[in-house]
Amino acid sequence: MFAIASMNGLVIGVIYALTALGVSLVVGIMNVVNFAHGEFYILAGYFSFLFANALGMPIIAAMGLAVALVFVFGLLVEYTLIRPTYGDDMYSLILTFILSIVLQNAYLFIFGPYPNKPPGWIKGATNIFDLFFYGNQRMAALVAGIAVIVVVFAMIKLTWFGRIIRAASQDRGMAELNGVNTTRLNMLSFGLGCALAAAAGVILAPVFPVTPTAGVPVALTAFVVVVLGGMGSMWGCIIGGLILGLVENLGAAYLSTGYKHVFGFVILIMVLAIRPSGLFGRKEA
Amino acid sequence: MRRICCFLVLAFAIACMATGPAWASDTIKVGVVGPRTGGAAATGKAFEEGIQLATDYVNANGGVLGKKIEIVFEDTAGAPDKAASGFERLATRDKVVMVLGESHSSAALAEIEVANRLKVPFMVVEAWADPITAKNYRYVFRAGPSNSGVVKSTIAQWVAAEKFKKVAIVAENTDWGLGIAELCKTALDAAGVENQSLVTERKSQDHYMELTKIKSFDPDAVLAFVYGTGLHYFVAQAGEVGLTPKAVILDGAGPPSLWPDFWPNVGDYGNLECFVSSMHEKVELTPLATEFRKSYVKAFGKNPTDYKSRSMFDAILIAADAINRAGSVDAEKLVDALEKTELTVTRGTARFGTEKGGPEYHHWMPPMLVIQWQDKEQVVLFPAEGATGKLKR
Repeated sequence: MFAIASMNGLVIGVIYALTALGVSLVVGIMNVVNFAHGEFYILAGYFSFLFANALGMPIIAAMGLAVALVFVFGLLVEYTLIRPTYGDDMYSLILTFILSIVLQNAYLFIFGPYPNKPPGWIKGATNIFDLFFYGNQRMAALVAGIAVIVVVFAMIKLTWFGRIIRAASQDRGMAELNGVNTTRLNMLSFGLGCALAAAAGVILAPVFPVTPTAGVPVALTAFVVVVLGGMGSMWGCIIGGLILGLVENLGAAYLSTGYKHVFGFVILIMVLAIRPSGLFGRKEA
Repeated sequence: MRRICCFLVLAFAIACMATGPAWASDTIKVGVVGPRTGGAAATGKAFEEGIQLATDYVNANGGVLGKKIEIVFEDTAGAPDKAASGFERLATRDKVVMVLGESHSSAALAEIEVANRLKVPFMVVEAWADPITAKNYRYVFRAGPSNSGVVKSTIAQWVAAEKFKKVAIVAENTDWGLGIAELCKTALDAAGVENQSLVTERKSQDHYMELTKIKSFDPDAVLAFVYGTGLHYFVAQAGEVGLTPKAVILDGAGPPSLWPDFWPNVGDYGNLECFVSSMHEKVELTPLATEFRKSYVKAFGKNPTDYKSRSMFDAILIAADAINRAGSVDAEKLVDALEKTELTVTRGTARFGTEKGGPEYHHWMPPMLVIQWQDKEQVVLFPAEGATGKLKR
């Protein structure tokens, strides 16, 4: 039981971390909480389903196109909805909340209420050291999730764009004085955050088919991970996601399956009671 | 004096507007409550299909009290607070003479309180929790399955007929899931069948830990009371962890196993899955069931799958019959007429229990089948008299 709970905790934890990275990026740079994050995740799932199933595209191409389209959609949302609200966090929060409801209803209208699943990359399950069977698609999602996280970290740490992101998230005013166009940076960051949600969506849709309202728990979990790890901290997302995944699965294995998600909230409350800024969050000046 | 006259004219006009829709229009309004949005929006779609066919059928056969029947559909999203306010809107704003529908027990339990308070007849269609009719409210009826009815007349008997020795029960944490799981446990304990019970979260996508626990119990059968997309996740993941096909899964609700995306979502793991249903593609209990299928194919270009479309069809026919026999839209007369219902619909002859004291009061329990997917063909396993094949393992 411990082995499969740990393995599943690891897989679910990486998935949580991946979905939370986009939220963390947008919060860290723009101080905008994107309530529609889960709906961008779902949109990418629908796109990959549509391109692969209806248009017959190869699944990798369908996934890539889905992420690209969600990135463009994210840029448009930033330009039309978020940009006019800079300076008042509450407006952007309300706007993204409304956007999430609008998108949910649009998905229901366009795709219907039934779950949609893009084709899996790999079928069946593997016997892991004669201990348990584990779904191949989940293991593939784990590998793909880790790959995306590594690419994002490499981009943040090693590229010029990543350096600008780090500079703006540390001191926006100073970054502007050094010639950083923060308006354009906001737009690209929001698009990138949406693209990360989309990457999670296309990786996970073959495991968890998408429905119009399936983005709500995705976004909720992402917010929990971001708060647990510390607002705006990328490493916090990874550690927070893994802690949440492991706690939920070990709690379900040894305590009760009926309160799996409650264990995560208990951990969140405990951490916040000791470190209100989260595990890796910076204290407010 | 002039002011008083103006006030009286205005008051009269408002009174006419308020009472107008019930009498002045050439339709009689019946309300429907159900989830058009949320996780079980597929049920709302099935209800809409049943409404379309039933209104066409009723209006083509003389309507109600010489007028056309008109359905007003209020979305409840499966949430008790929305359900209660939606019901109240139907009764007070739309002035419906009766309300039908619902498929979430939690929502129905909120709605029956409003129905009882406002004295509006309410016929529950697909919400199974026993307390809905066990509260013995005068204005509350149920023309569909109940937890105790399904367990007693179908699930417990099927488990006995198949001679299962070890059975696992897994239920979502809702009024329906927890209620039916408890009744199953009681029935299995009484029959001496070794069993294990687990609770899962309604909105959970990942069931690996539940399935691992069940696998270590090594059951012959798993009674799964998980509704909606969760059932698809459960069946697919049961195959991945190697629980099936050694153990047989029974979907204790039914419709999710018949949704158009069942096979794409579960793949080969769906083969040999069993489910409870009041409808089978080849078993039709009454001539009206055949007529319903033909009308459905004509209207929607496909065969009916989700049996809740037919449940709604039946409910509207029962409501129309009661209104016609009552000869009035008075709530008391409608309740009296409903209590005397004896109408053959698609699932048999509807008759409501009138003896108080249990969930059978104001309840008509239609017959249910246990069906197994065998190479994507539906094979009826239970009851024996309707069986079209045997259980495959």
